[in-house]
Amino acid sequence: MIMRRTFTMLAAAAASAVFAMPAVAEDYPSERLTYTIAFGPGGGNDRMSRTVVDILRKYELFDNNIVVENREGGSGAVGFSYVAGKAGDPYRLTSTSGNFIGTPLVADTDWTFADFTPIGLLASDAMLLVVRSDSDFGDVGAFVDAAKAGRVTIAGSGSAGPERVTAALFANAAGIEFEYVPIGSGGELVTALTSGSVDAVVANPSEVSGQLEAGTLKALAFSDTARSTNNPDVPTFMELGYDFSFSLPRGVVMPNDLDPAVQDWWIETLKKVIDTPEWEEYLVKNGMSGNPIWGDEFAAYLEDTSTKYRATLVEIGAIQE
Amino acid sequence: MLAEIAANLSLGLSVAASPEGFLFLVIGAFLGMIVGLFPGFGPAAGIAVLIPMTFGLTPTIAIIMLAGIYYGSMYGGTITSILINTPGESATVASTIDGYPLAQKGRAGPALVMQAIASFFGGTIGVILITALAPSLANFAASFGPSEYFLIIAVGLLMLTTMMGDNKFKGFISALIGFAIGTVGVDVMSGQQRYTFGSAELIGGVYFVAVAIGLFGIGELLHCILNGQHRQPAKRLRVSFRDKEFWPNKQDYYESRWTFWRGSAIGFIAGVLPGSGATLGSIIGYSVEKKVAKDPEKFGKGEMRGLVAPEAANNAASAGAMVPLLSLGIPGSGATAVLLGAFLMWGLQPGPLLIVNDPEFVWGLIASMYLGNMILIAMSIFAIPLFVKFLDIPYVNVVPVIVLLCIIGAYAINASIIETWILVLSGLVGFAMKSYGYSPAATVLALVLGSMAEETFLQTYIISQGTMNLFWQRPVSLVLSIILLTIIIVPIAMTLLKKKDRANVGNA
Repeated sequence: MIMRRTFTMLAAAAASAVFAMPAVAEDYPSERLTYTIAFGPGGGNDRMSRTVVDILRKYELFDNNIVVENREGGSGAVGFSYVAGKAGDPYRLTSTSGNFIGTPLVADTDWTFADFTPIGLLASDAMLLVVRSDSDFGDVGAFVDAAKAGRVTIAGSGSAGPERVTAALFANAAGIEFEYVPIGSGGELVTALTSGSVDAVVANPSEVSGQLEAGTLKALAFSDTARSTNNPDVPTFMELGYDFSFSLPRGVVMPNDLDPAVQDWWIETLKKVIDTPEWEEYLVKNGMSGNPIWGDEFAAYLEDTSTKYRATLVEIGAIQE
Repeated sequence: MLAEIAANLSLGLSVAASPEGFLFLVIGAFLGMIVGLFPGFGPAAGIAVLIPMTFGLTPTIAIIMLAGIYYGSMYGGTITSILINTPGESATVASTIDGYPLAQKGRAGPALVMQAIASFFGGTIGVILITALAPSLANFAASFGPSEYFLIIAVGLLMLTTMMGDNKFKGFISALIGFAIGTVGVDVMSGQQRYTFGSAELIGGVYFVAVAIGLFGIGELLHCILNGQHRQPAKRLRVSFRDKEFWPNKQDYYESRWTFWRGSAIGFIAGVLPGSGATLGSIIGYSVEKKVAKDPEKFGKGEMRGLVAPEAANNAASAGAMVPLLSLGIPGSGATAVLLGAFLMWGLQPGPLLIVNDPEFVWGLIASMYLGNMILIAMSIFAIPLFVKFLDIPYVNVVPVIVLLCIIGAYAINASIIETWILVLSGLVGFAMKSYGYSPAATVLALVLGSMAEETFLQTYIISQGTMNLFWQRPVSLVLSIILLTIIIVPIAMTLLKKKDRANVGNA
């Protein structure tokens, strides 16, 4: 036994010497992986993380055990802080979502997006501008005209969340003013619109997809850079001449201080993950668009999203400059 | 119409009554009761934790099991309210007011049996109403905007006065404490933080479960120790099905024969409305019962009707909450929001078309709720002697168990130590409240309803441009406003008239 093990080690050493590859990439993965989810089971972040892990397992892309754990609390503050604290550990993964950008801006967290090694943005979660089907707003133009002529109310969940950022960016681009009505959760958001209390809502596609399909609600525009594969008839704001886009990162990050080879290993592996029918099905089911970007490009995207987010929060007075 | 319902139900039963469906329904109902038994470990947390257990099942069977956990926990949740005065969630706070005094009077057996019967009655009436009315009720729920929610919550807040105990002034102070705690968190309008002291855990506000467990559970415990209950020798309660004292007596059934119906109807309507349906339903159910009673002075001192009303109501409400979930894809509570997440996870698209596209799923779920309620009442009644046995244990040995249960419950909410500290602090406050006759129920319910009232009021205020016109411009709001004013004005007018009468008598 000892002989054989020594031989394996010698062989590995020889191989790494010959190909001049960093040892970590050769051994990797040699330990079990811990995938931390900073939110509770059943939510959006949880669904994405578990889909990624299921694909990793099914296609045997990660050659060791994978442990999935939910560490929720403080709008992601608890879980992300935990992973950020594991700097240098190459066996830690977590998924990003809106709060990954938003929570550090509004709360005194001991981490920001810069405390993580970016792997890839696997999908983006953009917002729809939605009205009632029986309303007078046939398209975004009609909505903008109404806003210029009088007063419109737009509701979204949360007071300083991505919905408000999207609404504010839209209003700036269109040169209109609106009253923003913050509503607690997805359910009450839909009834605020169906009951005729507000003129429009900004919502995540998954929150309204049932209503859109049934035809009680109608989507006017989409806040991503490209049309969604799920709602191909809904134009983007950019197509319509409102020059802005905003989406939330559904990506994967790792702690800082990692060997660049580990980052590359995961970029290659996740490229295989999103190239599966399971991932395609996930995107369609959850109304997301998949325009993946990797590594440094992902880092730049995080920075840009955080800047836009921050500017809106300052504008509405939620945080000080 | 009837033929259609029958066809739908038989389709549903073919799924729910299949051996696999039945097995996982029993497992779900059983787990639900256990989940309900742990204070703080309510249905939302229970379903969330147990979702991974359902991986590998077919979607319909998985959701049948998760739904069993959801309404099963409503059966189990009251048991701790009755036995150790610790409500596991806001919907069972109203059940402590008469449930715990009943247990103290030595009527724990009848109280538990009646609560199981009331739960069964409420739950079953709820499912019957879902079967018959789901489509038309869905439109009703969809017509509710912020102004209507505010008015409904305001009615609930007014009803709080009936459960504050005898001293209204102290009850009022208790409610104000609840409102004050409710201000912690993010301001709904500006997004600025209030009283969070930079703590990320407090951004979401103070979660009422830790406060409730502390105020009731730990507070009651400290109070009992102060009274020297731990030095008393154990009572030898003999409980068996053969005992006459175990079962509710004829008077219990006779007096609450209408209570079952009133509680179920009120609870179901409250449950259909997205928001805090089960909590509001149990409060309104209790107050209406006390208002219509000829002997309201008996309430709060161990009156069976005071337990039956909120129990029938919160179970009917948990069924009612399935209406917007199944017909609109709108979750009405924390637990149904987790269920909605599970729907998505299983690839079901919640929304108006769910019932059209997946009839087997929807009707399978509804049919399983009929069976589930039957399983639960049988399970409850068989288990009651076990629970009553708990009172047999010397109090000195019970104390550590309760403390452990409370701490685990509070910690489990977010797996964070902050909730544990909130629990400890609320325990001390609850001790003081109990000792000086304040009302912890008013505090907890004001905490739950206060922040909802603030949010919906401000939403209405923005929509109607800084006026309150919306409250009478929208038809449903107008009706609710009139009801609200009637509730306020009628008692005042009655008191004035009585005084006048008395003055007249004095003059004559």
